[in-house]
Amino acid sequence: MRTRDEHKASVIREKAISMIVNEGFDGMSMQKLAKSAGVSPATLYIYYRNREDMLEQLYEFVQTAFANAALKEFDPTMNFEKGLWVQWKNRMRFIEECPHYFRFFEQFRNSPQINRSSIGMVAFKDNMHQFVSNAVKRGEIRKVEPEIFWSLAYGSFYSLLKFHLQQRTMMNPDFKVTDAKMKQLLNMVVKSLKP
Amino acid sequence: MTSLLTTVLVFRTNASLQTDKTTITALLGQHPEVAECSLDLEDVDRVLRVVSPSLAATQIIEIMNQKGFQCQELE
Repeated sequence: MRTRDEHKASVIREKAISMIVNEGFDGMSMQKLAKSAGVSPATLYIYYRNREDMLEQLYEFVQTAFANAALKEFDPTMNFEKGLWVQWKNRMRFIEECPHYFRFFEQFRNSPQINRSSIGMVAFKDNMHQFVSNAVKRGEIRKVEPEIFWSLAYGSFYSLLKFHLQQRTMMNPDFKVTDAKMKQLLNMVVKSLKP
Repeated sequence: MTSLLTTVLVFRTNASLQTDKTTITALLGQHPEVAECSLDLEDVDRVLRVVSPSLAATQIIEIMNQKGFQCQELE
């Protein structure tokens, strides 16, 4: 008989995430994970039914962590420019604080064979949707297809962020994102979305 | 994750085929004191996982043995 232990659960979770980030999905097995987390394989089964169940639960955990970080001090009724800035800053902070969560997330997004639920994302999606439709209603931005909107409003930000994470680019051997650079990009994005 | 109040029992078994898995999960799944049951054939230990508020490990082992499967509690 075994009991659950929240601290142990989080150690296992962190180990699993970094193992997946470093070695890929195929590099993570229950036996290997048990060894690296310093627990017996039986302990892992207290928390997870099998490897697949574990991957799904990890994904859900990271997704919820992302959603909580993104919604911090955010209000969907905010003026578009201000709201988008809060989104960028929140996402930036999340990725800087938990870079392995971000990589894990990206890895998942690129593997269609894994089941993904999105229970943790309901509030997040709802907020994002409200935010955009409010801005359209107030005449701050024009109505475009969601993918076009995302490409401009967030795609631009993620491109800049990737340069920041790589720390150097083809044009610049030592690149760092600053608030001033983010603001510059934000202004251009806001301008491009005006009706 | 299932409720914190229930007990999770974990066993090493010699189940190896998909039909073994079907037999075992059907057998334990219909047991009134079993809340949840799964078998991981991908793991070297062919881990049987049973969530039950009341059953003891020895009772599960007995049920498995009766059906001709080896079953040992994992420590």
